[in-house]
Amino acid sequence: MRAEGQEMPLVLRLQDVRKVCKDWKTFSSDDPFMIVPHSEANVRSVRQYPIETDPPDHTDYRALVEPFFRRPNDADYQLGMQQLVDEALAAAAIPDSVDVVSELALPLQSRSLARLLNVDDSEANLWISWGTHVFKEGDGVSKGAELSSYIREKFEAAEGSEAHDFFSVLNRADFQGRKLTLEEKHGFANMAFAGGRDTVIHTVSSIIAHFAAHPEGLDFLRQDPARIITATEEFVRYVSPLTAIVRSCPHSAKVLDAEIAPGGRVGLCWPSANRDETAFTKPDEVVLDRSINPHVGFGFGIHKCLGAAQARLIIRSLLQALCNQIEAIHLIEAIPEIEQESSFERQVGFKRLRTSFKLRSSQHF
Amino acid sequence: MARITYITPDGQQVVVEASSGSLMTAAVQNQVDGIEGACGGVCSCATCHIHIDAAWMDRVGPAGDAEAAMLELEDGSTSASRLGCQVPIRPELDGLTVRVVGR
Repeated sequence: MRAEGQEMPLVLRLQDVRKVCKDWKTFSSDDPFMIVPHSEANVRSVRQYPIETDPPDHTDYRALVEPFFRRPNDADYQLGMQQLVDEALAAAAIPDSVDVVSELALPLQSRSLARLLNVDDSEANLWISWGTHVFKEGDGVSKGAELSSYIREKFEAAEGSEAHDFFSVLNRADFQGRKLTLEEKHGFANMAFAGGRDTVIHTVSSIIAHFAAHPEGLDFLRQDPARIITATEEFVRYVSPLTAIVRSCPHSAKVLDAEIAPGGRVGLCWPSANRDETAFTKPDEVVLDRSINPHVGFGFGIHKCLGAAQARLIIRSLLQALCNQIEAIHLIEAIPEIEQESSFERQVGFKRLRTSFKLRSSQHF
Repeated sequence: MARITYITPDGQQVVVEASSGSLMTAAVQNQVDGIEGACGGVCSCATCHIHIDAAWMDRVGPAGDAEAAMLELEDGSTSASRLGCQVPIRPELDGLTVRVVGR
């Protein structure tokens, strides 16, 4: 594909993608604003941490925030998330028609992020107003400055706080014997707000669209609770809402048949790897009980998605809530969100997905 | 029923009895340090990487293709490596000792 004035090879096969991920010295992430195919220098002002760094710094940066991103492994946190999702779905099922993107997926993502970052639930109301994309409006106009102002205000307000929210903890954090700079903290927060936003929203919307088209799927899940787990991984594989992450080559490198000049870039194409027919049987189908599913929907290697546990918990809770509450989903209107690049276009989710939900007469299974 | 001994990355021995599931689920249910099982057992996350005692390799068996491809790129991978999620608990594994690789 063409990006930033260069032809950039995309790595497509599952094991090839993994090998590039593993070799972080050759394929570096130490290239601010360039972690996606098209530079984000025009929509954000800071390097994102920890993703836009390499070891050994990356290891230490990541360790600072990992405790937050492990919170979804806690049993009480899981119960709280199930309650949040149950209530969100129940509310969405009341009206005759609901836009799943703006009225279910976006609030769900924002309210669950407030829990992850251990901040007051009311903060999510502002985050919801930002819409699906935190950096750009639908027409591409940058709104990154609003996020930057918000983040800097939160760190300033948390100065001296002994609380255990994301902002206070990063204010107190020690990194290699010093405090983090405001720019570093800003970069962490930027990643936290942008990283799992549109991806979670698109996955939730796509799941609802799938069950609208395949109503028998919910009955299939209800027959065996273990299928909640396999279906979660399958939707992560199948939807793969993030098309590519990019690595930069500080020195000349070779990927398969492609020669990369020093300073050149290589794209890792997650959805392609996740549909690799040499690794997945029926790769273009949703197989809800796929028991061997070595997908890279959360990346691979040292930069694997920090928010994976949160995303998994949201999806598992959503599937559980759908099984408990919903008899059928009627599709009213679907406007896909299409990503267009020089060498491909693909649907990553929905701009709008209007549905109505039919509740089950007897809930819980 | 099988009695499995897990040796955690910091050297602690945890003995677990299980009659179903896998070496991953038995470890997670008993909070064995170093085994997370993040993907729930579908061979996607490799957070259940273990080393099998050499004397037990024949009984445990080799990794499948998908698992072997994962292990090829895992830190600490050796010929004794398996992903716990891909090893079902069965009676002939009674007495097995595994070392948790961890991260």
